Amino acid sequence: MALSGGAPVEVRHLLKRFGTTAAVDDVTFTVGGGEFFSLLGPSGCGKTTTLRVIGGFERADAGHVLIDGRPMGQLPPNRRETYMVFQRLALFPHYHVFDNVAFGLRMKRLPEVEVRRRAREALALVRLEGMETRRISELSGGQQQRVALARALVNRPRVLLLDEPLSALDLKLRLQMQEELKRLQRELGTTFIYVTHDQGEAMAMSDRVGVMDAGRLLQVGTPLDIYERPQTPFVAHFIGDANLIQGTVDALEPRTIAVRAGALRIHAHRDGWERLGAPISVCIRPERVWVAAAGDSAGGLRGRIEDRAFVGQAVKYRIDVDGLPLRASVPYRSGTPLFAVGETVAVGWDAGQAVPVPADGGGFEHADVADRRDLRPAGPASA
Amino acid sequence: MRIEGRTALLLLTPALGLMAVLYVVPLAVYLVNGLHAFRDGRIVPVWTLETTRRFFADPFSYRVIWASLRLSFIVTALTLGIGYPLAYALHTRVARPGARVVTGLLLFSPLVVSVVVRTYGWLILLADRGLVNTLLRQAGLIQAPLGLLFNLTGVVVSLTHILLPFAVFPIYSVLSRLDWTLAEAARDLGADWQQVFVRITLPQSMPGVVAASLICFTLSLSAFVTPQLLGGGRVQVLPLDVYNSTVEINWPEGAVAATVLLVLSLAAVWTLGRALRLVSAA
Ligand SMILES: Nc1ncnc2c1ncn2[C@@H]1O[C@H](COP(=O)(O)OP(=O)(O)OP(=O)(O)O)[C@@H](O)[C@H]1O
Ligand SMILES: [Mg+2]
Repeated sequence: MALSGGAPVEVRHLLKRFGTTAAVDDVTFTVGGGEFFSLLGPSGCGKTTTLRVIGGFERADAGHVLIDGRPMGQLPPNRRETYMVFQRLALFPHYHVFDNVAFGLRMKRLPEVEVRRRAREALALVRLEGMETRRISELSGGQQQRVALARALVNRPRVLLLDEPLSALDLKLRLQMQEELKRLQRELGTTFIYVTHDQGEAMAMSDRVGVMDAGRLLQVGTPLDIYERPQTPFVAHFIGDANLIQGTVDALEPRTIAVRAGALRIHAHRDGWERLGAPISVCIRPERVWVAAAGDSAGGLRGRIEDRAFVGQAVKYRIDVDGLPLRASVPYRSGTPLFAVGETVAVGWDAGQAVPVPADGGGFEHADVADRRDLRPAGPASA
Repeated sequence: MRIEGRTALLLLTPALGLMAVLYVVPLAVYLVNGLHAFRDGRIVPVWTLETTRRFFADPFSYRVIWASLRLSFIVTALTLGIGYPLAYALHTRVARPGARVVTGLLLFSPLVVSVVVRTYGWLILLADRGLVNTLLRQAGLIQAPLGLLFNLTGVVVSLTHILLPFAVFPIYSVLSRLDWTLAEAARDLGADWQQVFVRITLPQSMPGVVAASLICFTLSLSAFVTPQLLGGGRVQVLPLDVYNSTVEINWPEGAVAATVLLVLSLAAVWTLGRALRLVSAA
């Protein structure tokens, strides 16, 4: 397929209400031309609604959508350069596979020869050659999903909106299609706005991810950025596994902070926005927690193993540290010592690996900021 | 499984009994007369195909069959032509549930009135000195009254009116069950709303159209009161033929005409049933 060049998409202060509840609440983000952007969030958080507003299916109560710099206003879907892969697929049951895929091309009144060539190409792309004359009802869920993809891709969209397009596939096919989609997106240069509630999928495929909850866009950033620097407890929990320890800032040191959490005093990385005495959360990824035999460790905290699970490449422990539940995931190689349930161990982490997260409601004003250093409030700086 | 079967039988018994006693048995008893003869004003209970042969040798019979089919085709086409847009508008344009209920009730209100009463209403409206003709004449649109009564026009107008809800309801119910994301998908792929209608909505609603056709066609075919009261003897259809023969005690001929009517109805049911299976195979 020829390169079509993706168009940039801008969403500004989007608001969409159903009744009294805001399904999309003041959402702002920008997607670059040819970028793979994911909207990630739990069920009902407003992902589909956001996508539908961009595609022109839903009228926003406030805010703007700009595609290629042009405001979309009330332009109907057939006059937008966006194409959508629907969450519920919406394949035409009275057409067979080929006519479903060819639909968009026929609407453009392309010559039939061209329609056939391009529809075949699209079907080959999603590995459905030979299925042309099947009825939609005669396809498996995964095959139907691939028809839906082909039906959109065949039009060489400049912006493709995908609403959980791989959710009906089994794990193996899903991983395969993830790679395939990523490759397609790179080759075609199409802008992808990809909705999913699967954080692994979003992390693996996207250039950038936007995390949504209850209609709000909480944070936008690269997968790495979001994993390493979650800006809210929700994001920390939603992306990967996280130990989130709540406490108050006890001391500010040049590179670290000390946080008092119950009976414990722990250390974390210092970002600069932290304020002495203010409530704060500390996010520690389980794989950054080390576990050692209680005796031979110089530092760390004392804890008791509550539970142990061996998952192949790692051993997962649940440890009670003075009433604080802590999860650790220790990489496993043959010979790695295992600790038994009930054993007392030493646990700890490198303070640089413990990330301060504003407690809910506090901290950052805006979620849509990739670089949080800009947001450093003027707090009491201590030497 | 066995218990389920027995329960089903138990549940079906009243309906099956009713059908047998009130429908199958009398129908069979009546239709058997077609195999008897009618000579010198008397039914002769011999087994013969004489009556059947005479029916099919008479050109009048074909005129009656043709008149019945023609009436049914015209009325079906008209009810669909009026009923589909109505159902579509009801579904897409009447958004408020309250307004929808009211429109639905209005639509079904003719069914509340007895056929006879309604037909006499039409008599008043369509007569030479009736409301329609008087108004048209006063508006200067016509000189002589239009013959709206006691001919095919009157019967068609009246039957179309009576059968309209039977067309609207199945179409509306199919439309309201349609997956409207299909229309959205078509819009997304570049179709304007006319193309969406022709390529998506209409084909998807065909089961409703076929069901509506089936109901309207068979009801028109067996309509009796309307052709009787509004046809003025000029609309000779099979049910009238059956009625007249039976009144003249010529049960054998009535039975043959009734059999033909039954066969035509069954043929319509079969044809449209096949069509329904075809369009809903998708
Ligand atoms: N047509 C509608 N009418 C009323 N409420 C709606 C409508 N569509 C969505 N909502 C509500 O808006 C909220 C956001 O819905 P949306 O479909 O955008 O969620 P989502 O993030 O796509 O969820 P999922 O992952 O389950 O698909 C939900 O609370 C939902 O109930
Ligand atoms: Mg959704």
